[in-house]
Amino acid sequence: MLDLSFLPSGRGGAVTDLPDDQDDAQTFAMDAAAFSHPSFVLPSVADPVAWMKHQMSDAAENRIKMAKGTTTLAFKFKDGIIVAVDSRATGGTYIASQSVKKIIEINPYLLGTMAGGAADCSYWERELGRRCRVYELRNKERISVAAASKLLSNMVYAYKGMGLSMGTMVVGWDKTGPALFYVDSDGQRLKGDLFSVGSGSTFAYGVLDSGYHCNLSIEEAIDLGRRSIYHATFRDAASGGSVLIYHVRQDGWQVISRTDVTELHYQYAEEPRPSLL
Amino acid sequence: MQMYEEQKSSCPVKVPVECRFSPYTDNGGTTLAIAGDDFCVIAGDTRQSEGYSINSRYAPKVYQLSNGSVLATGGMYADGVTLVKMIEQRLEWYRHAHDKQMSSGALAQMLSTILYHKRMFPYYVWNTLGGLDEDGKGAVYSYDPVGSYEKQKWNCSGSAGHLIQPFLDNQIGFTHQKEKAPLTLERVVQVTKDAFTSATERDIYTGDNLEMFLVTQNGIEKTRVELKKD
Amino acid sequence: MPINEVKPATGGFSFDNYARNTMLNDKGFKAPGVIKTGTTICGCLWKGGLVLGADTRATEGPIVADKNCEKIHYLAPNMYCCGAGTAADCDATTGLISSKLELHRLHTGRQSRVVTAMTMLEQMLFKYQGHIGCALVLGGVDINGPQLYTIAPHGSTDKLPYVTMGSGSLAAMAIFESRWKKDMELEDAMELVKDAISAGIFNDLGSGSNVDLCVITKDGVDYRRGYDRPNERVQKERSYKLKPGASTVLTSSFRKYVEVLDGDAMDTS
Repeated sequence: MLDLSFLPSGRGGAVTDLPDDQDDAQTFAMDAAAFSHPSFVLPSVADPVAWMKHQMSDAAENRIKMAKGTTTLAFKFKDGIIVAVDSRATGGTYIASQSVKKIIEINPYLLGTMAGGAADCSYWERELGRRCRVYELRNKERISVAAASKLLSNMVYAYKGMGLSMGTMVVGWDKTGPALFYVDSDGQRLKGDLFSVGSGSTFAYGVLDSGYHCNLSIEEAIDLGRRSIYHATFRDAASGGSVLIYHVRQDGWQVISRTDVTELHYQYAEEPRPSLL
Repeated sequence: MQMYEEQKSSCPVKVPVECRFSPYTDNGGTTLAIAGDDFCVIAGDTRQSEGYSINSRYAPKVYQLSNGSVLATGGMYADGVTLVKMIEQRLEWYRHAHDKQMSSGALAQMLSTILYHKRMFPYYVWNTLGGLDEDGKGAVYSYDPVGSYEKQKWNCSGSAGHLIQPFLDNQIGFTHQKEKAPLTLERVVQVTKDAFTSATERDIYTGDNLEMFLVTQNGIEKTRVELKKD
Repeated sequence: MPINEVKPATGGFSFDNYARNTMLNDKGFKAPGVIKTGTTICGCLWKGGLVLGADTRATEGPIVADKNCEKIHYLAPNMYCCGAGTAADCDATTGLISSKLELHRLHTGRQSRVVTAMTMLEQMLFKYQGHIGCALVLGGVDINGPQLYTIAPHGSTDKLPYVTMGSGSLAAMAIFESRWKKDMELEDAMELVKDAISAGIFNDLGSGSNVDLCVITKDGVDYRRGYDRPNERVQKERSYKLKPGASTVLTSSFRKYVEVLDGDAMDTS
């Protein structure tokens, strides 16, 4: 089959409900219609998805690298939910940043975490925040976490196969109590008590599962989250920086701490280790 | 997917002809921004190159925007120019709609959305935005090509970004140093100049001129320093 | 042959890992980059001999690997050779031919001829079908007078009164084409070659730093390393001497030298 990507053909045709913007000036129109639904400029090729995939691959002459590599976790316990993340962004072997905020404050009682494409997560979770506010104004009550996570899931599902990359946890407190959902760009949406997402998640799960039970005190839970992220940064080169921790309670989320992993390394090194026998 | 199409001509020799849409090129160059307590320094070299050739020895890629912020663009020059034009248009619309200048924080978020709107056909540009925030404090925002951004104290990107960034971490962030000296404008300017003269020594895409924008409460001062031309 | 048999090196290239490396490359494991002398080299004839010239930058991709490398290689007392391309290949090839010429001189008891060196280089590069990545400018004076050659990586050669090679060859050739004349004086020829190399240094990103010259006449060689240095680094604005404490000390232990106060005499029986 021939690659006809050099032929001009307007829209790719994968998404049909988008406003048809032929040029950039229209994309930035100030009328209400422009704000009703996000719209994207597409390259004039037959298959924009394949084209974009090529531009992000090793084979591309001028490669577009996106920030990747992460460890994030969240778990429910008797006093709410602990969310803990690292803060490193990598582009290939280069550490692009050690200070990324991977917990996104959607609104005062909803949090989202960031794994995969940083721009995808921050854009869509901001869009989610906007939609949750619209829901609030229409219905005179806050949106449930289940509904919010489903909004996000449905939004990214519309772009399935187009190269979006996100693995996120939507965390909050609603009428039903604490709620935790995993949503990714494949369209997967799971409800659960404990998740870890990202390249360092396997290491985090190891620590988390060995110390987790529902009746942890707040202090114990915070410490478990911090240790899990620390140990993931120790073994996963794509995770690092500092550990950021949030606690979600009935009255909303609260920032607990932000600690450099080097500091934690020496702090933990001082502690006696359990013997293996 | 097949990359080549056979040439259709009377010529008996079959030559593979590549016909792929490749709109991007890297024009090299390095940009840097450092935020102080009440000032911000944004700088970039002025060399524009392609392959082993220099297109221009003075093609500025750091732009003073109409709201008093300064935007440094790196990567593909043409995309940078287009992007700045787009931003200026949006800044003007904002002024007409709200009868005030856009704040640097609002501009930072707007730039992110502008970039993300081309998520499927990105601007090949690495942006660094510098200026003063609402409280008059120095602010630096750095971006990836599709709009992921972060507020920082200092940032360096572009062809010599990986050479300069660790130097800034040490000299501006004082990592691995016991004493932390106060960050004066004078010191920041000195470190900026040394960063660029050193990068010019080792990166072939950095050189010719260094253009610096010093943003303070009193206004924006633009200075130019010569770099090596080899 | 047993798979683990170790054989002594017999000279020439080893292709043992060729198939493996091709396979690794196909699977996406890229071979490490080699240092290239993205280069401007040239030479021209004048009334009494010839002048060779070269810049001094060596690059590894976009990074300058060596700011002051030597690209004018010795071949024989009456012959020098500028190399462009893969640095290691240029060093090895000129070194090999240089030693062959030396043996040839010892055998014949005569001065080496430039055509001899040219033919040896040409045949070697042709034999390896371009896999030895060097582009050479060969200059020397023998009983037939001063001669200048270029040898391309695949083994083709040119004999011309003024020649350029490397990534900056077009910039340098532009200078030669506009200003070279037959039977120039030495000073004019040196100035011309300096300007040709400078054109490469300033207009080609693969070339940079200083100008090396090498004047060859029938009476001998005048090698002028760093003939022109148009790219001296400016004084730094600050001193970056770090105060003690830049490295985290994890543990420390101090020991005195062991002093033997009383011991047995050495057994020397």
